[in-house]
Amino acid sequence: MVALVARSRRSGGASPLSTLGRSAGPATLILSSLADGAKHGYALTKDIEAFAGVRLAPGTLYEVLSRLEGQGFIEALASDDRRRPYRLTAAGAEALHAHLCAQRHVADVGLGRLSGSWGVA
Amino acid sequence: MTGPGGMPAAASGPAPDPAAVRRVCRLLRWYPVSWRERYGEEFAELLLADLAEQPRAWRRAANVARCGVSARLAGAGLAGYPADPAAGTRACLGILTCSLAVFLTVGTTMWAQLAVAWQWAPPASAATTVAMLLMSGSLLLLAVLALLAAIPASWAAIRASVRHQAARLRGPAALAGAGVLVLAIGARHFGNGWPGTGGHWWPHQGLAPGGIAAFGWAATLSVTAYWAHPAALASFPLAELIWMLLSPAAMLCLATGAVQLVRRLEVPARVLRYETWLGRAAVAGMIVFLSGALCWVSQGGPVQALFHAGGIDAGGLAVLAAALATGGRAASRAKLVSAAGPR
Repeated sequence: MVALVARSRRSGGASPLSTLGRSAGPATLILSSLADGAKHGYALTKDIEAFAGVRLAPGTLYEVLSRLEGQGFIEALASDDRRRPYRLTAAGAEALHAHLCAQRHVADVGLGRLSGSWGVA
Repeated sequence: MTGPGGMPAAASGPAPDPAAVRRVCRLLRWYPVSWRERYGEEFAELLLADLAEQPRAWRRAANVARCGVSARLAGAGLAGYPADPAAGTRACLGILTCSLAVFLTVGTTMWAQLAVAWQWAPPASAATTVAMLLMSGSLLLLAVLALLAAIPASWAAIRASVRHQAARLRGPAALAGAGVLVLAIGARHFGNGWPGTGGHWWPHQGLAPGGIAAFGWAATLSVTAYWAHPAALASFPLAELIWMLLSPAAMLCLATGAVQLVRRLEVPARVLRYETWLGRAAVAGMIVFLSGALCWVSQGGPVQALFHAGGIDAGGLAVLAAALATGGRAASRAKLVSAAGPR
């Protein structure tokens, strides 16, 4: 995982999730939500709304879920219910970690510069 | 939505409002069948829950419509990202095959008339000579690439038929085979019947062998400006008129069968990457051909001359450019979508 983060830093911060283009934002939210356990579509929507203040539209949620599943970042679990839960895979956990580390680096730099030049703590 | 896209009913709790179920059914119709089979039930559950919280929300309807259309375009290999990267790559290659079929039909029409003209006299302008060299070379390249693409695909088809998994391939294979057969027999018959092209007595006169030039000319006989001149068309022999109607149908069968085969034939990822690479090389060949055609049409000979470029050729250039743009985009997307596969 360290190697993955180092590689993403060397390539200008490009993490596996950044290849998702405009879906990278929703993908980060979905993967972050699944990081503490499997969830189905509705539970994902509510959890993301609770921790990020963003309500993902149903179409967007499933558009990104299908892409993440296609890339092997998440997998569907068997269910007797019509609501199928999804869980994070090891590849998904690595990709999320790399992406969040890259974002944290950007956030640290931005906050540091704000603090130095504008006095914003 | 029923069955795999079944009526949305909550697994537990009260039965959903029938009006909400109807709305969900309507919303789900934006998505293609394959998507609904995979995600329909769970997506319907989410929509029902969302409807219960926000009964009226035009943004939700607009979002579902946009994502549904995007899923349809992705399934066709035209845009977006399909749920299955391998199927998406095959869909992109199918679009490329379709573009190539249109490009080759119009391109062969142009090339054949110049190749036939060269049987009688070499072109007077250097631009037309260069154009013919570029067009002939790129057609040869495209033929070689088609052969290279067909070898592993045929092998995969044979392996699938040995394992009795080729039922889905039989229809497209029969369609493509029938198209090839009709085109080969018909074009050979009418090519040989055309005076001066099937076998010229001057040796080594043309750039391409007369038989091949006549075959290309006869195969694309239907692509002609004569359709705009019914009086002139009426003077054609009946057999030739029938061929002018039959050959496009045969080409359509061949192209449809080939596209369906590309979309349905499941090959290993490395073969898919190889086919994608060949597709990108084919696009390069198309660019070279279009450059040659542009060179000829812009610098073609005077009216009444053998190598004169007419209005139909200018129109042909536009079709070639459109087919190249579509094929180029499909080839790029094929690479992009295959790269988005499981890590």
